[in-house]
Amino acid sequence: MILPRFDYYAPTGLDEALSWLAEHHGSGVKILGGGTDLLVDVRGKIIPDQHRPRCQEHRDGPWLARYAPTESIEILLALSRITELRGIAVEVNCVRIGAMTTITDLERSPVVRTRLAGLWDGARQLGSPLVRNRGTYGGNLCNARPAADTAIPTLALGGRLVLASIRGERTVDHSDFVTGPGETILEPDEILKEVVFDLANDPAMGSAYLKLSNRKALEIAVVSAAAMVTFNSPPAEQGGIKGGVTKSARIALGAVAPTPLLVPEAGEALVGKELDSQSISEAARIAAGVARPITDHRGGDEYRRMMVEVLVRRVLMSCWERALAGTVEEAA
Amino acid sequence: MKRVITLTVNGLSCEVAVEPRRTLAELLRYDLGLTGTKIGCSIGDCGACTVLIDGVPSLSCLVLAMEVEGRDILTIEGLADGLKLHPLQEAFVEVGAIQCGFCTPGMVLTALALLEDNPEPTEAEIRRALSGNLCRCTGYQKIVEAVKEGSRKIQLEKKS
Repeated sequence: MILPRFDYYAPTGLDEALSWLAEHHGSGVKILGGGTDLLVDVRGKIIPDQHRPRCQEHRDGPWLARYAPTESIEILLALSRITELRGIAVEVNCVRIGAMTTITDLERSPVVRTRLAGLWDGARQLGSPLVRNRGTYGGNLCNARPAADTAIPTLALGGRLVLASIRGERTVDHSDFVTGPGETILEPDEILKEVVFDLANDPAMGSAYLKLSNRKALEIAVVSAAAMVTFNSPPAEQGGIKGGVTKSARIALGAVAPTPLLVPEAGEALVGKELDSQSISEAARIAAGVARPITDHRGGDEYRRMMVEVLVRRVLMSCWERALAGTVEEAA
Repeated sequence: MKRVITLTVNGLSCEVAVEPRRTLAELLRYDLGLTGTKIGCSIGDCGACTVLIDGVPSLSCLVLAMEVEGRDILTIEGLADGLKLHPLQEAFVEVGAIQCGFCTPGMVLTALALLEDNPEPTEAEIRRALSGNLCRCTGYQKIVEAVKEGSRKIQLEKKS
């Protein structure tokens, strides 16, 4: 099945792309990043019934379901030739990641691994190696799925998105960026240029992302959780009890709401307290209470809410361990 | 409307007129007749269409031909030296890592890129690298063994 007909434009500079977009934006114009989501969505699908979601409302119906493409495109604005959009720049107190940086670039970046470990976890678990080689960070964020593997850690790490248009640039928190499944505050003439993370000079900090899924690759999270914890003093192992007074904590959840979900209540519950099993359990309970998952073929709402509690507990432990060790091993 | 693009495929420069909607997999198979690249799912789930773009394993079903203008593509046809198979291909044959063969071109190319990066991978590293290439005959054990054997063969060849 070949793709529907569309036109293609690939400028080599961001300014060129923005001027073009200012003139041509409107229905039928789509921005092409790595194409690993968009080129799937422009294709129609024929799905045998036994492969359709096992939800109540899908139980009847024809044996073969034909789905029209979910995206209809007249012209693609391809960003792949704009070299300034790809790369990871480390500055004195921040890291800037270009929107066209591939997921593999994130996975291989030493600064992402050490300073943005939660994002590193997310990058390592997104799709498959082949998807990660083409798929871009900006694409994963702008596609705005509630379970996006780089979005949840970006939210926990307090990533700020720089949106560019011919009118200028504006910076928004990731928590304000996504408005619904697949929907963002991006104006039709805007392009996501980069994501900025502040590098705070705390005595110790740790971040992590955990994903619950049925298999290790090519999977969408049943539930996922990310956290970033900073400490007033470096944590220490005190007779098996977790120690270290929490300065700040941000906890974000995936696949439990129409958008990636920041749970400020759960993070605030930890501030000024020792990060021990009691405070961790308390934060996890709060997060589970705020989550509002749905039931679909990946999991039931009740199961998901229970798993939120488990995942938040584990992800906070992992933050603590990383802050203690000062190194990053794969979160288990 | 068709546009003319130039790209290098298996070391040969070529000029092809393609529609913007043409994927790289279609360009290779239908315009260049290189049918070694298989189209399985067309949505990036199976990895059968894997080719190397500038050495990076990529899903050619999810890459537009226009996007590879000026790039260097390696398909399975570019691996053998005349009638002499690449050591990694030999390893797949000897170990019995080929059943129906549909996933093999993608498996071999993904494994080749792994061995370029990491000449002596562990079993876990091999399985992780190949996690986007599905084998519906489920011959994964032999495939992993073949990659190990290929690694050994390539090392030997380098020494001699």
